[in-house]
Amino acid sequence: MLTLRQRVALHVQRSLSYVGLVVFGPVVIAIHRYWFRFSTHDLRAVRARYRELRAANPGPLLICSNHLTLIDSIIQAVLLTSLWGYLRHPSALPWNLPEATNYYHNWLWRLVCYLGRCIPVQRGASREHAALAQARMHYVLGRGDAIAIFPEGKRSRDGRVDDRDFSYGVGQLLNQTPDAKVLCVYLRGMHSGGFGDFPAAGECFHVQLQMLEPQSSNQGLRRARDLSAQVVACLKRMEEAYFATHAAPPAAPSPTS
Amino acid sequence: MTEAQITEKVIALVTPYVKNREALANVTKDTTFLGDLGINSARLVDIVLAFEDEFGIEVSDDAADSIATVGDAVTLIGKLTA
Repeated sequence: MLTLRQRVALHVQRSLSYVGLVVFGPVVIAIHRYWFRFSTHDLRAVRARYRELRAANPGPLLICSNHLTLIDSIIQAVLLTSLWGYLRHPSALPWNLPEATNYYHNWLWRLVCYLGRCIPVQRGASREHAALAQARMHYVLGRGDAIAIFPEGKRSRDGRVDDRDFSYGVGQLLNQTPDAKVLCVYLRGMHSGGFGDFPAAGECFHVQLQMLEPQSSNQGLRRARDLSAQVVACLKRMEEAYFATHAAPPAAPSPTS
Repeated sequence: MTEAQITEKVIALVTPYVKNREALANVTKDTTFLGDLGINSARLVDIVLAFEDEFGIEVSDDAADSIATVGDAVTLIGKLTA
């Protein structure tokens, strides 16, 4: 349960991120389009599909994606809705859950994360810290916002969805907020190989969207495990569908650690 | 079941998930699952579920959250099987 001050802090962050969209949104889009020269296959159809799914599934939403690079969340946000769309529908911009160690080490990234509507999480966090992060997630979902989450819990080491060693965070969120809907997003650059921090400049992204209603007759941790497994399995199926029609690029060497 | 028997079973159940084999060889009650044994939090959930199956117990979410060390697990299982 959040204190009044913590709830107000989330409202302030949400409002400032909206204001930040006006200032920094065009910058992010310009970097996406002109610096990295990213493009998206059938972008108009992707956005129309997202609009349609969001309209059909209002309220709390977990956007569950595969995880290939450090900037997947930003790319996904740019692709799913236009800047105008975010300005018209503030709840369309999802909250993100970055790992604090990776992104909160300097003020610039802290600012980006704050304005990018992030709730930091920490691997191996204390019970208190984990409970606070979960309470924040539960609160923003309860207000009908969306949270973007990577169900694998880590970046893919070989460029493929890892359906064997994944986190149960998405299942725990669904346990906390049972009425939350799940939108699986499979996002992949046409030239994406193995492990990497950033997509290659000039990358063209392919996006698939699919609503999922994971179910389990179990309770507690077993339910969290069941639900997480179903979400990851859905992403795996989407990946298989992608590779059924696209040739795999040569794999980059995986990191040893 | 004695504490020693529980500890032995706990270590056996944990072993497949351990990344730091050296810490496993020198395991004590104070050995932490996440920090010392290098087990990630998702696999710790698997381990708690394995405890439930092995010892025929039910571990609440709060109790599961309280398991940080081998000693915590042994104490909890001892209480739940008593």
